[in-house]
Amino acid sequence: MQRRGVLFGLGATLALPALPARATASGIAAEAVMHDWYRLILELVRHTATYTPPVASRAFAYVGLSLFEALAARPESALRSLAGQVKSLPATPAAAPGLDPAAVAHGALCRAVEVFFVNTGPTGQRAMAAMKKRIADKLASGLPAPALAAGIAHGESVFAAINDWSQSDGGAVVENMGFPMEWTLGTHPGAWKPTSLIRLQQAPLLPNWGKNRPFCMDSPSSATIADPTPYSEDPASQFFREAKEVYDTTRALTDEQKIIARFWSDDPMLSPTPPGHWITIANDLLEEEGADVERRAEVMALLGMTVADAFIACWHSKYEFDTVRPVTYIKALIDKTWEPLLITPPFPEYPSGHSTQSGAAEVVLAHCFGADFAFVDYTHEDEGFEARPYPNFRAAADEAGMSRLYGGIHFMPGIVNGLDQGRVVGAFATKLQTRKAA
Amino acid sequence: MRLLLALPALLPLAAFAEAPPVPRFVAEDAGVTSVFAGDWQYMVGGGASAFDCSGDGMPDVFTAGGEGKSSLWRNESAIGGALKFAKVESGLEIDAITGAYPLDIDNDGITDLAVMRVGENILMRGLGECRFERANEAWGFDGGDAWSTAFAAMWEKGQDWPTLAIGNYIDRKEEAFPWGSCTDNWLHRPDGQKFAAPLPLTPSFCALSILFTDWNRSGTPSLRVSNDREYYKKGQEQMWEVLPGQPPRLLTPADGWARLRIWGMGIASHDLTGDGYPDYYLTSMADNKLQVLKDGAIKDGVAKPVYADIAFAKGATAHRPYTGDDLRPSTAWHAQIEDVNNDGLPDIWVVKGNVDRMPDFAQADPNNLLLQGADGVFVESGDKAGVASTKIGRGGVLADFNMDGALDMAVVNRRENVELWRNVAPGGGEAIQMTLRQAGANRNAIGAWVELRAGERTDRKEITVGGGHMSGVFGWWHFGLGAASEAEVRVIWPDGTEGAWQKVTPGFWLLERDKDASAWTPGTPAP
Repeated sequence: MQRRGVLFGLGATLALPALPARATASGIAAEAVMHDWYRLILELVRHTATYTPPVASRAFAYVGLSLFEALAARPESALRSLAGQVKSLPATPAAAPGLDPAAVAHGALCRAVEVFFVNTGPTGQRAMAAMKKRIADKLASGLPAPALAAGIAHGESVFAAINDWSQSDGGAVVENMGFPMEWTLGTHPGAWKPTSLIRLQQAPLLPNWGKNRPFCMDSPSSATIADPTPYSEDPASQFFREAKEVYDTTRALTDEQKIIARFWSDDPMLSPTPPGHWITIANDLLEEEGADVERRAEVMALLGMTVADAFIACWHSKYEFDTVRPVTYIKALIDKTWEPLLITPPFPEYPSGHSTQSGAAEVVLAHCFGADFAFVDYTHEDEGFEARPYPNFRAAADEAGMSRLYGGIHFMPGIVNGLDQGRVVGAFATKLQTRKAA
Repeated sequence: MRLLLALPALLPLAAFAEAPPVPRFVAEDAGVTSVFAGDWQYMVGGGASAFDCSGDGMPDVFTAGGEGKSSLWRNESAIGGALKFAKVESGLEIDAITGAYPLDIDNDGITDLAVMRVGENILMRGLGECRFERANEAWGFDGGDAWSTAFAAMWEKGQDWPTLAIGNYIDRKEEAFPWGSCTDNWLHRPDGQKFAAPLPLTPSFCALSILFTDWNRSGTPSLRVSNDREYYKKGQEQMWEVLPGQPPRLLTPADGWARLRIWGMGIASHDLTGDGYPDYYLTSMADNKLQVLKDGAIKDGVAKPVYADIAFAKGATAHRPYTGDDLRPSTAWHAQIEDVNNDGLPDIWVVKGNVDRMPDFAQADPNNLLLQGADGVFVESGDKAGVASTKIGRGGVLADFNMDGALDMAVVNRRENVELWRNVAPGGGEAIQMTLRQAGANRNAIGAWVELRAGERTDRKEITVGGGHMSGVFGWWHFGLGAASEAEVRVIWPDGTEGAWQKVTPGFWLLERDKDASAWTPGTPAP
């Protein structure tokens, strides 16, 4: 059974029985507004060409933060603004008392989607317009026009302020799908080499992403990581052994390992991307929990910002070390016929991006739901994958990391140290004070 | 200013080989006024067809009109002269058409049209003199109600009538969440001299081009399907084995089929490598693919569907504009492989245009003319040839409209008028053009292979109906001769019978089964 429906779009006979009925004055609950916009966002991430994983993580951060701040500004909110806590985030517009949270959420999310996905194709634009109209119609069915307008205006104004602030973070402009027009390959031993026959990917993805302004970390280098294994082509070397480990593992994959590799593959433009995978998990868990909109906003803001920070930290390290991918090394030195199970991403190997951001997501979700919170991941049901259960978020993050070994696209140190780096990143987010003092 | 990637691997390999001759095209008004119009439901489609509807042997042109009426244009060009067309009242003035493919469904010697639409598809029976009538009811054809965006046809062994495959796109009624709503493609098999109820080709993944092609030279074409990854879930490129009397079977990894997921928009095929097997050019967004059977894919004469992408190595990625300052990635639609400069080496022509106004992709996206050099590397020459249009292209045809031996060009544009170019100086030599004929069913020998031997080179062309982007050519099959002044040609007929090698000289030839090749002179009634 598919777990994620469009709440307002389902007929009564299809209404998810597990969902709590929500009394709302506005004709649609704020929680449903948020859930449905996030579901659309996850599709738009997949269907907008510039949305590689780092770019997607940035959007998740700003969308979540905008919603959080819009709700937190209401005097009656239990949320505490993150202005002054998130790095250089200025104060966002204040709100008058009594604004309808569903209208506020719609105002913030609708504008955020329109701005962040302005580049999506005509079908995405059509879907955005349809979603906007349907939610607005629902809101209008239960709210007086002035109240609806006031709520939407506040949400929009908060997003506008945050969007202004976002323009100076270094990641606002992505050209050529993120691939630089000019690039000189590293010349040091073990430097990254292109692994693809795609012309755009002869230069690595977003080499300056690691210079972006982070959200919760002090700087892109705040989450330090151990140096990668020294490059060597000596069969007796540690590097060779690590490459051989990739080779041997991938040649003897179990069916379960193949499933794990593909389940966490999360390819851009074919999935919601790795950060979108964790956002999907959170969106589902919040729905299952019946969380109120403020808790949802809290989780999504923290999760969005931490995966964004994780990509900044990871990319900072990737281009500091500029290391070769397994496919390059193994084909040159071990077996020229070897092919990894997954498509090797077009950027340096160390550390693993999925591992780093999964480590960060694990820490934030454990903070929000509990370290021993067991859950089921339904992210790729519509791609034909069975849902996968996990005893806790750490187990899921570890599996996400290992998927890169099974997929043949990372060496183990990139995975293990990437997870550790991500956990350091995540700790920055969990220090934020998201609730007003009781 | 254009920026170059500072990578040694990207040095143009062709710079070290003799450059292929560049044809010279002249844009001509030609009298055709046709726009592929419409909004969201017409972001794909926009085909053209070239075939003789008037009986004079010259290719006339059908152009899809999208939400507007489509139109048929009778070729009134002087032999070797400027291109000139006149609109004819044909019965094809129908709205919601994405494209149409010509073929002779009922084997009566008059070309019919399979008309693909947003809505009900229609088979239009040719009546002669460029008149057509609806034949769905007479032929038992269920036109359905879908967003049809691809077509292919073949004659299965033992059948008098063709098997039609129709590719369908997304559920156009889905608004907020259309992704994952790809509707089933259909296989319309014949039932005597009409069509049986269509078989759904499940799973379907939003096909934008399909082609029956004998990829393994087994004698039985399979159905190659190129799918738009924008909309499918669980999807990939597909190949269906379609054996007579059996349900279609999707090739799987067990067959050797490897998963490829692209924004598949067009298929062009030709044996470019000379190994006797068709190679495939697949259009997409950014990089396009040129697939050839991998080394080792053929063992003991049996091929496995294992392909290597050689587009990068052969200079055929055509991934971004090559003129102007708009360096964003390209959006490619129709592709056709023909010898445009008559040098004896087939070239690749690609029609391009932004989906609509997608900012991540080039808006000024010139069509490509990739000329093949002697080393097999393709050299972009669209600008030098004068055909680098940056209008929002979709479909098109290469056909010798003025019967001078050089392939001319017609492009259907979204929201703008059709463009035509006359090839006034191909630059590489003369050409031989052939039409095939056999008695009984499959009169035009769809599924045959034509082999042309000139000097030490043998060029092979599979005769197909389908592929491209909603665009098709029917009637004359063109081969450039290069420096040769004559050639030998033979036909491997659809049933596998190998015809005799026959000597031919530049010009037009009728290759009729079990008969000597006979020359045809333009200006006389069609052969």
